[in-house]
Amino acid sequence: MHTLPQQLANGLFLGSMYGLIAIGYTMVYGIVQLINFAHGEIFMTGAFGALTVWNCLPDGMNIWAALPLMLIGGAIVSVLIAVGAERFAYRPLRGAPRLAPLITAIGLSLALQQAIFVWYPGADNAKDFPQLGTHPYHLGSIAIQRNDIFLVAAAVVCMVGLAAFVRTSRTGRAMQATAQDPDTAQLMGIDTNRIIVIAFAIGGLFAAVAGVAFGLKYGQITYNMGFQAGLKAFTAAVLGGIGNIYGAMLGGLVLGIAEACATAYIANIPGMHQLGGQGWANVWAFVLLIVVLLVRPQGLLGERVADRA
Amino acid sequence: MRHRSLLLLTTVLTTGALTLTACGSRSDDGKKSGDDGSSGTGSNITLTIGVDAPLTGQNSATGLGLQYGTQIAVDDANSKKLVPGVTFKVKALDDKALPATGQQNATALVQDSNVIATVGPLNSGVAESMQQVFATANMVEISPANTNPDLTQGKDWASGKKVRPFKTYFRTATTDANQGGFAADYAYNTLKKKNVFVVDDKQAYGAGLAAIFKGKFASLGGKIAGTDHVNTGDTDYSALVTKIKQSHADMLYYGGQYDESELITKQLKAGGVNIPLMGGDGMYSDTYIKTAGKAATGDLATSVGVPVSTLPAAQNFIKAYKAKGYPGDYGTYGGYSYDAATAIINAVKTVMDANGGKLPAMNDARAKLVDAVQKTDFDGIAGHVSFDQYGDTTNKQLTVYQVKNGAWTAVKSGVYSG
Amino acid sequence: MTALLEVEDLRVAYGKIEAVKGISFSVEAGQVVTLIGTNGAGKTTTLRTLSGLLKPIGGRVTFDGKVLSRIPPHKIVSLGLAHSPEGRHIFPRLTIEQNLLLGAFLRRDSAGITRDVERAYELFPILGERRKQAAGTLSGGEQQMLAMGRALMSQPKLLMLDEPSMGLSPIMMQKIMSTIVELRSQGTTILLVEQNAQAALSLADHAHVMEIGTIKLSGTGQDLLHDEGVRKTYLGED
Repeated sequence: MHTLPQQLANGLFLGSMYGLIAIGYTMVYGIVQLINFAHGEIFMTGAFGALTVWNCLPDGMNIWAALPLMLIGGAIVSVLIAVGAERFAYRPLRGAPRLAPLITAIGLSLALQQAIFVWYPGADNAKDFPQLGTHPYHLGSIAIQRNDIFLVAAAVVCMVGLAAFVRTSRTGRAMQATAQDPDTAQLMGIDTNRIIVIAFAIGGLFAAVAGVAFGLKYGQITYNMGFQAGLKAFTAAVLGGIGNIYGAMLGGLVLGIAEACATAYIANIPGMHQLGGQGWANVWAFVLLIVVLLVRPQGLLGERVADRA
Repeated sequence: MRHRSLLLLTTVLTTGALTLTACGSRSDDGKKSGDDGSSGTGSNITLTIGVDAPLTGQNSATGLGLQYGTQIAVDDANSKKLVPGVTFKVKALDDKALPATGQQNATALVQDSNVIATVGPLNSGVAESMQQVFATANMVEISPANTNPDLTQGKDWASGKKVRPFKTYFRTATTDANQGGFAADYAYNTLKKKNVFVVDDKQAYGAGLAAIFKGKFASLGGKIAGTDHVNTGDTDYSALVTKIKQSHADMLYYGGQYDESELITKQLKAGGVNIPLMGGDGMYSDTYIKTAGKAATGDLATSVGVPVSTLPAAQNFIKAYKAKGYPGDYGTYGGYSYDAATAIINAVKTVMDANGGKLPAMNDARAKLVDAVQKTDFDGIAGHVSFDQYGDTTNKQLTVYQVKNGAWTAVKSGVYSG
Repeated sequence: MTALLEVEDLRVAYGKIEAVKGISFSVEAGQVVTLIGTNGAGKTTTLRTLSGLLKPIGGRVTFDGKVLSRIPPHKIVSLGLAHSPEGRHIFPRLTIEQNLLLGAFLRRDSAGITRDVERAYELFPILGERRKQAAGTLSGGEQQMLAMGRALMSQPKLLMLDEPSMGLSPIMMQKIMSTIVELRSQGTTILLVEQNAQAALSLADHAHVMEIGTIKLSGTGQDLLHDEGVRKTYLGED
């Protein structure tokens, strides 16, 4: 078990990424009760947006200098797609039966994947993504990548920023009001359409940050990377209590750590050899989800919806 | 019974998947029509050779090698008029490395009354889903890439009970029984590795190869430091890397494709585990080095045959491939694809010669082609081409490659003999 | 002079079912006007249409000289029309103070907002004592006070109260009604929807009786209070 600290760190890094993506699912759900299944692709297009910026920058440019520009580029792409999807795909269906926007989201997800696949040069294979170096720092027995430090730092900054925004800003208060009672929020003078757009935009922004972090961490991005990541992030959002922003982050971390520990330790349990390892990690992640939902159908932080928005 | 219901299912699914296949074959259409123009001179019949391989997405770098290797063989046959009165053309379908898609493609190919035989697929797992379709239609299928022994020798081959399941299935690549053993032998005796961690991707090819390697390596006296499986499409291997690190393995053997192994080797080296990753022909691809970058240095892969570039007979093929600017890697299976297509073309000639220079009705022609291909015997560009009683190639050459200075370099060639 | 609120031939439908079938009435500045009637008479539908939550299928609403049709609800608030909805609809997971501040969402004068929050606490001292408490923990009557206080925070020209006494104990109802009297004495214009006709009529300048989507009877509060038909049907007297 002396690898436990390292495995926890592995899970923490992976979980931070799930959490960043999960915010987008949970914010949109919290405000319009819509599962935006195209969110995984918004994450993917953010990564491609950042890569495009990198490719347009002069060769040999320092990656640290390029990073802010890449983040901005990715954020612009993701936010535009997220807001565009809301405006042109979901808003016309508001008030329609629940299934209609859901199917639309799935269709949009496929369309975005195929669009990148067909039109982004060379995207039918993995595209190389720059990294912040690949030599790890050592913290006791734990090896930590610079790319992972960026990921965790970005997740912390984003979460703290979002929490402060929701708690203290006027728009944040309007988001909480809209989440709790959209009709009455309008009676307060809140333009709920604007709040919904902002929720999509924040989700897109976080997805872009996650997309850049993904590229840095793995050194490559693919047109279909949003599928699995999106599914995991959605799981994280449900695990943490969908609609709750802290739940999304917590759910991501729990899921990431569960996967790492399932990969590492399940096979060591006597009689479980066949059911352990990375190949079964996803299965255990979903077992965890089912167990949590059996005990707490509202998710881990489901009762703290007071802060949701 | 199981196969019949599979076929039924396929028919139903084909409709639904039409859109997907249409997307997948997008890139071939342009190329194909261009090639047709230069060769369509004869006033006689046109025969189609089908190709099935992953042409987009996962594994497509090597998959495209199958398509264009076949294309060059067809171009050569047409320009040399190997079969007088017959113009050959290629119909390439994209299976995306998915068994279900491969089966749909197989159904489409046997239903096309112009298709005489098929080259492909790339993946053993895909082949499993296609074999029955071709066998039912009596159509020859020659894979230049499948290495899983089950495909030709049945599920119980390891226990010595070899039974050929389908007489329409042939391959120009040798099997993993040889490849896995060859790799284990090289790792233990040449590299002096004693403690190997074995990982596979749970697919027919990867799991089969890893199991053969593991068995052979252990029987040589080596220790298996640990085993694990991954899912195709996974991107995060950090937990696995930590496990490997803890096991103090001196090598990682991976049964699977380059799509996963390039990420594994990157994360392995980044995690401070500086041991080589060794794999089979599924990761012998330039894409592996390109994507993994420096992390790939020192990694090893076995592949079937000897390096195409060292074969004198293959020089024109390589020239043609480069001159046409075809995408994909010809290095691994391009030569074998060329030979597979040529075996089909030669067999067409045999069938026509026996029928007074005319091609029999398509159903009959396909059936007669099975016997003609079984009797194949010629020197191809990648070595001698003939098939044993299981449909396996008699050419059992294998090579170990290692990444040196950013390129696969052959370090040992030979024939594995148990 | 023109009335503050002018409703002419207003018609509202849910799908094919017409809930309000062409009603007309007006509210003058400084007046308390009440709509009374049984459940399903169309009173709440009328208020929800006035504040923009529902779109009318016909008729015309003029408020402070502006025609309201096609103006979204959040803009209507900024014209000075506040709506305290039926069932109170406070934001349960926000604090009392946050609820009040949301009532002043469109205002930018932070000094004025602070002053008005204090005024709301003076009007309803219990709210001041619990200002940091989640609004969902309040009793029904306290929630009603909060809903009214919140509606006042937008400094409305017209305050619409929908069933403020619903579900309250007699003591609490008394409190709410006396607050309305107090607001009226301060000059606040109020459009009051009530099922408790006795209470509503006794403090209204004008009253309208609604029945299945139409206005059956209009008059001063005192007139209707003494109308025999009204007494029979709405005040429970034989």
